[in-house]
Amino acid sequence: MGKYILKRLGYMIVVLLILSFIMFLVYSIIPFDRAVAEAEQYKQSLKNNPRAGELYDAKIEELRRELGTDQNVVVRYLGWIGLAPINGEYKGILQGNLGYSYQYDRPARDVLAEPMRNTIFINIFATAFGLGITIPLGIFCAVHRGSRRDTAVQVGTIVGYSIPTFITAIVFIWLFAITLGWFPVSGMKTPGSNFTGFAKLKDELYYMALPLIVMTFSSLGGMTRYVRASMSEALSLDCIRTARAKGLVEKTVIYSHAFRNALIPIITLVIGWFTGIFSGSIVIENIFGLNGVGRIYILSLNNKDFEVVLLLQMFYVIIGLLGNLIIDIAYGIADPRVRVNK
Amino acid sequence: MKKDKKSSRKEFVLFRWLRRMFFGASKELTMADERYDSPSKLAVKRFFRRPLATGAVVVLLGMFLFVFIGSAISPADLTETGSEMLHTNMAPTQSLMKLPKQMKDGAVDISSRGTFTIGLDTEGQVYMWGYYFNVSGDEARNVMTIPEEVKNSKIAHVAAGSDHCVAISEDGHVYAWGEYDNGQYGLNGSMIASARKEPDELLEGTIDASAVKQLICGNQVTAILMEDGTIYAWGNDGLCATNLSSVIKHGKQDSKLVKLAFTNDGLYGIDENGAFVSGKSTKFNLVTVKDENGRSVSVDIYEYIGDRKIVDIAATGNAIALVADDGEIIVSGMKEPLPELREGEKAVSVSGGTRHFVLVTDQGRVYAWGQNYRKQCEVPNDFSEAGVVDKVFASGFQNYAFKDGKFVDNWGLKGYIMGTDDMGRDVFNRIMNGGKMTMTVGAVAVIVSTIIGIIVGCISGYFGGAVDMLLMRVTEIFGAIPFLPFALCLSAIFKSSNIRENTRIFIIMLILGVLSWTGLARLVRGQILAEREKEFVTAARAMGVKEKRIAFRHILPNIISVLLVTVTLDFAGCMLTESSLSYLGFGVQLPRPTWGNMLDGSRNALVIQSYWWRWLFPALFLSIVVICINIIGDTLRDVFDPKSEVEK
Repeated sequence: MGKYILKRLGYMIVVLLILSFIMFLVYSIIPFDRAVAEAEQYKQSLKNNPRAGELYDAKIEELRRELGTDQNVVVRYLGWIGLAPINGEYKGILQGNLGYSYQYDRPARDVLAEPMRNTIFINIFATAFGLGITIPLGIFCAVHRGSRRDTAVQVGTIVGYSIPTFITAIVFIWLFAITLGWFPVSGMKTPGSNFTGFAKLKDELYYMALPLIVMTFSSLGGMTRYVRASMSEALSLDCIRTARAKGLVEKTVIYSHAFRNALIPIITLVIGWFTGIFSGSIVIENIFGLNGVGRIYILSLNNKDFEVVLLLQMFYVIIGLLGNLIIDIAYGIADPRVRVNK
Repeated sequence: MKKDKKSSRKEFVLFRWLRRMFFGASKELTMADERYDSPSKLAVKRFFRRPLATGAVVVLLGMFLFVFIGSAISPADLTETGSEMLHTNMAPTQSLMKLPKQMKDGAVDISSRGTFTIGLDTEGQVYMWGYYFNVSGDEARNVMTIPEEVKNSKIAHVAAGSDHCVAISEDGHVYAWGEYDNGQYGLNGSMIASARKEPDELLEGTIDASAVKQLICGNQVTAILMEDGTIYAWGNDGLCATNLSSVIKHGKQDSKLVKLAFTNDGLYGIDENGAFVSGKSTKFNLVTVKDENGRSVSVDIYEYIGDRKIVDIAATGNAIALVADDGEIIVSGMKEPLPELREGEKAVSVSGGTRHFVLVTDQGRVYAWGQNYRKQCEVPNDFSEAGVVDKVFASGFQNYAFKDGKFVDNWGLKGYIMGTDDMGRDVFNRIMNGGKMTMTVGAVAVIVSTIIGIIVGCISGYFGGAVDMLLMRVTEIFGAIPFLPFALCLSAIFKSSNIRENTRIFIIMLILGVLSWTGLARLVRGQILAEREKEFVTAARAMGVKEKRIAFRHILPNIISVLLVTVTLDFAGCMLTESSLSYLGFGVQLPRPTWGNMLDGSRNALVIQSYWWRWLFPALFLSIVVICINIIGDTLRDVFDPKSEVEK
């Protein structure tokens, strides 16, 4: 098992390197020169200088050397990681320099700390709620396959996964926030409030309730269908017939025998879905004005703050790859056959 | 004969597969095997035995037809005429042209500037119809509620502004109701100091109603013209009638006025000498006429009129039309060409809507010109005969034609079936055109991803070994790219670079396609791995068929059922992704509509609450289409799966 994990880990790093290079390539084709933007201020101060043009060009050259943008892509990429010197010193990701947000004039790490906390907070809650509802519901449907209740849930889930998140969000805002007035329309906390401790958490949860409901609701459809499918597959296995034949209680048959067999496809999904939730929360955070990573991502894209964009891209890639790694490991734990084969 | 065979062989491969799949391989075969249904035929039968799936197909086909035929009939107007700032955020309604029955026997006046219309019948009764969105929410400011006094007394004159109405009763009372923040009527509540106050004699006393020659409203101003030339005027003249005092001065000092007309920002008239009065305004001092060479030249309007007398004046929002005593129409401020009158026909009277003019000639024919985006100028055909009509009320965007006091016909804007958005664009029209865009983007993206997926999957699955290894690693790397963030980033890059909108849309399609082929490639590979061990492949190989041909011509048709399911579901997925991108502002850009970016404005509570039609309809259409596609895809998977039949 240890060897297997190591193998997967090594593989993951290779993929990460390739992907990060692709991202960096994309980032480098953006027609935007940071040095020119930086020198703009300098240009203002040169207004009355007779050698303004000359000095300005020299400044741009200097800034380019400083930022490393005069080098070719490969050198810049290595410099960004921290394997090659930029302007004479190593200051890449490996040295702990995650980039600089020109929009906020702060290191990207500081800009992202608070939103990252919020995003992870929301997504963990949404996952917990989603799983808590979908797995029992899926099992119920598989057990009562073909019944009227199952059909009703099936139609409901098709509708659920067909409707995009932003439409669900609009409808829920209309229903719960505007018509019924139960929740606030958007925002992170009561404006002007300064709660601490438990009151703060309560206020935060109150504001996060509606986004959480929307996220949970839009994940219900797909997950329920997958749980139902893999569960009904498992229920048609021979071992289930044997279990029933030897007189086991139906509960044991379903939850102990069938569910263990249904677990493998579900694991893939749960984790794939968890990583998907991070991209999905881009939409949610924008609609509800939550101060999360997704909102920062859109803001940075709009403001051409590309170092933050690049960093967040890498964040999403790492989340995805970590998800895959966890799937592989979980496979190994849940299904002994996988370990033997690889 | 030989030639025929050759050409039929050359037909598109995909069609042949589909035909073979649903209708059997060839004529001879079906004749022989008539009693046995092929698996695919069975699948089709099973598919249509399910009411839900059949319903979904019908609904989806209906949507396709609606979107593609509809957008072909009325393409989206992306220019400035497509939006109408007077009609922003209008709820779905069809009542704008609903002339009350009582008015059909006799109408004294019909007046409208915005979305609602006021009418007065020969009995002195006031009627209102149309639509008004009361922004303040204060019921006292709702212009659609006629005050009790107005209902109970006999009214002689009515006029409507953009958000207020004025009426004069026969006993001389002046009533006004509606919005009053900008001094539309002299009562308290005026928010701007510069508004011209209503004269005290009107507020407290009465005027001689029989001596009122004309009551007329501008957007937020009102003017009463008396027989003796006195003008009473009040309202927001700073914005809606900048030359008001100079015109009144002309009436007092030079010669009295006999007719007035308001544009959006000015008051114009004709005096008793038949001269055009424009006060201080110089906006309409030029007319464009053709010189002897047929070129358009601008000449001074007073020079052009010369000695002729003006007998009628009318104004639209930003143009005026004059009728000279020799029957010529002089128009200033409007680009659209004048109608061509028949030989010997003379213009008698002209009236102006908000964006168009209507003209009645001495032979009783009607001509309309100006903007026709809302069908204001589509005069019914039978009106080209002489003597059908003697009076036309052009008001706002509607026209009501009368003959001898009896209603004949009306034409113009009835309303918007699905309301309008914040720029006054027709939501119904945008849904048709936006649907076309959304579906096209989705379809092209799916085609791109399917082609890449099939090629990679086939090569990888059939050849195996090092090729398979390499391609699968590439697939995994592509699969690990976070889809939405990466699509957003690429789209943002192309947004900032300077390329044409059409190219950008095409690039978006490619981005979506290139990022979403990995699932399909894996599926195809897996299927091919299973298929290639079967006997018919061995047989084909034994017959010496080339490897490439085996992979693409022998194996691929066998897995097309699985492909079909995935492609169907992917189509829905791509439509949703496009909508999400457009919704976040990184897809197709406004003003070009898609179902995604139509929802763009629906992010604030006011829109969600008050302007429900702006988000409900696009959301509904998008959801229904995606639901239908998903139902079809799911049912296809069920019916192609031999196991599912056994179980049930």
